[in-house]
Amino acid sequence: MYPIVLLSFFGIVTLFLGFSKSKNILLPATLLFLIIALAGNFLEWNKGPLLYFYDMLRVDNVTLAFNGIILLSAFMIFAISGGFQDNPDSEPAEYFGLMLFSLVGALMMVGFQHLIMLFIGVEILSVAMYVLTGSNKRNLRSNEAALKYFLMGAFATGFMLFGITLLYGATGSFKLEQIQGFASNMQVGSESYILYAGLLLLLIGMLFKVSAAPFHFWTPDVYEGAPTIFTTFMSTVVKTAGFAALFRLLSGSFTGVYGFWWIVIAAIAVLTLLVGNIGATSQNSFKRMLAYSGISHAGYLLIALTALSKPSQNAIIFYSLAYSLSTICAFGVLMLVSKEKTIGGQPNEYYDAFNGLAKQNPLLAFVLTVSMLSLAGIPLTAGFWGKFFIFTSAAERGIIWITVIAVLMSTVGIYYYFRVIISSYLKEGDLVKIRVAPFYKVILVLATFLTILFGLAPGIFEGLI
Amino acid sequence: MNSTVSFFYFLSFLTILSAVMVVVSRNPIHSVLYLILAFFTLSGHYILLNAQFLAAVNIIVYAGAIMVLFLFVIMFLNMKQDNEEAKTNIAKIAATIVGGTVFVILFGAYRKSAIPAFNPENFDSQVGMIENLGHILFREYLLPFELASILLLVAMVGAVMLGKREIGERHF
Repeated sequence: MYPIVLLSFFGIVTLFLGFSKSKNILLPATLLFLIIALAGNFLEWNKGPLLYFYDMLRVDNVTLAFNGIILLSAFMIFAISGGFQDNPDSEPAEYFGLMLFSLVGALMMVGFQHLIMLFIGVEILSVAMYVLTGSNKRNLRSNEAALKYFLMGAFATGFMLFGITLLYGATGSFKLEQIQGFASNMQVGSESYILYAGLLLLLIGMLFKVSAAPFHFWTPDVYEGAPTIFTTFMSTVVKTAGFAALFRLLSGSFTGVYGFWWIVIAAIAVLTLLVGNIGATSQNSFKRMLAYSGISHAGYLLIALTALSKPSQNAIIFYSLAYSLSTICAFGVLMLVSKEKTIGGQPNEYYDAFNGLAKQNPLLAFVLTVSMLSLAGIPLTAGFWGKFFIFTSAAERGIIWITVIAVLMSTVGIYYYFRVIISSYLKEGDLVKIRVAPFYKVILVLATFLTILFGLAPGIFEGLI
Repeated sequence: MNSTVSFFYFLSFLTILSAVMVVVSRNPIHSVLYLILAFFTLSGHYILLNAQFLAAVNIIVYAGAIMVLFLFVIMFLNMKQDNEEAKTNIAKIAATIVGGTVFVILFGAYRKSAIPAFNPENFDSQVGMIENLGHILFREYLLPFELASILLLVAMVGAVMLGKREIGERHF
């Protein structure tokens, strides 16, 4: 509860800080705001399930864990943005303000107990993302990405709203608990098909936001067109919030009709895995490959949702954390390397930009390698245990075939994740030593350290939630 | 069939007709005018459902403000009828199949589910009045109501940020 209120307030404060002549104060101020929000978040740890404002918002340890992941990722992303000092055209106060507001939306999606909260949360997050995607105004690709994202996102919102309306028509309530009560008590033969239709439409809207196939078409273009720092934000914060919302929705109100929706989610999970992994192999741009990799990771997370067994909750939390840490590392290194050699004034985001990275920049190459290994799911990294927990959750429910497909697809993943490692270690290149700001270095090392730590001791947080 | 029911059917017919005309009109200005008609008939539905405040707001906000914006944008863009993008036949067929399927599913879902009816005797006729709405909005729905202001603020900040003049030339 506290972080939502705090961040709404801090967002406004950040906008006002933008009036000051010196832009140097913005970055430390927003980082401080995020630390306060994180502290406020964990004040409610172990206080049990709390309901706020006439059951609008539910705070329990699961909510707090998801909030923690979102705020931690945001902290790292804010830190590596460097306050947007290197770009004279940027408007840091607006960027930081919009990102803080979008975090409010993300936290609403995590803790919602009422479908209106879900809707407003999704909209706050999405509208801020549309704007930030198009924030590089003079770049045509950024313009195109923003317009594409906005039009398709508005369409998906329409589906979602229609779904919520049908759910209200069927159950007479927006509250998760009452929908749960209705869905669990449906008799065979007199099921409410309007509930099913509403659930499907709502799922379409939500699956669009987490870029699951066949609603993924916007992802590669938008991830590529947006400035890299906002792509990082999109692929970590937005994805974690989207999966937290899907998990809360399905586990909180539709366990009674599990037999109806699990096959839908299973089919979408398989399709997402296929599209994400096979699409990623044919990319030449590292950034575009990461977009497809984001799609494929959505597929893995959907497996845990399909199973919705006891280990699913922890699997989703752990996987989101592992994925966010590795993605921040990958994009962080990409941002540094792509600026070194430009093509036509634009950052070079192709694989060959990484050629010979290890020779002069061993630290960056190491960070990149660990993050790629973690994304590919190689043992001794957090990504391996994330996948392991997800497969355990599917096995618990007895859905083995989907695990087989997922394992096959993760071997495909090794191919495209290793391409960049090969580029940076084995290929010849003329990359000079890249100057990395100390704070930037600290964040990259911290994320890498956490990835390895969770890889060595995955049970470190076990039993907490 | 009493007068309310026949009025409902008349309004529904007009709503669907104007909604279809929005889609099939070739001239965008006509589309917008049909959309205004659709909003007015929807407001009629709200009044039938005892939601007078919502009906008034719908007319003021949608039929008034947003439609003016729509018309303004269309005239601003100066859309010509002839530069409409031609769609391939496959796309048309696929769209028809998908749209038809969704229609059949929704229609079937509606036919097969029992919609709970309300009892007219204990129906509160004041339910859609401003007073009741205010009570609900500022008590039960206080949190989403306040957070909706963040949504509006985000939209406003974004619009100002994107709308500011940018110096320098565009690049790919």
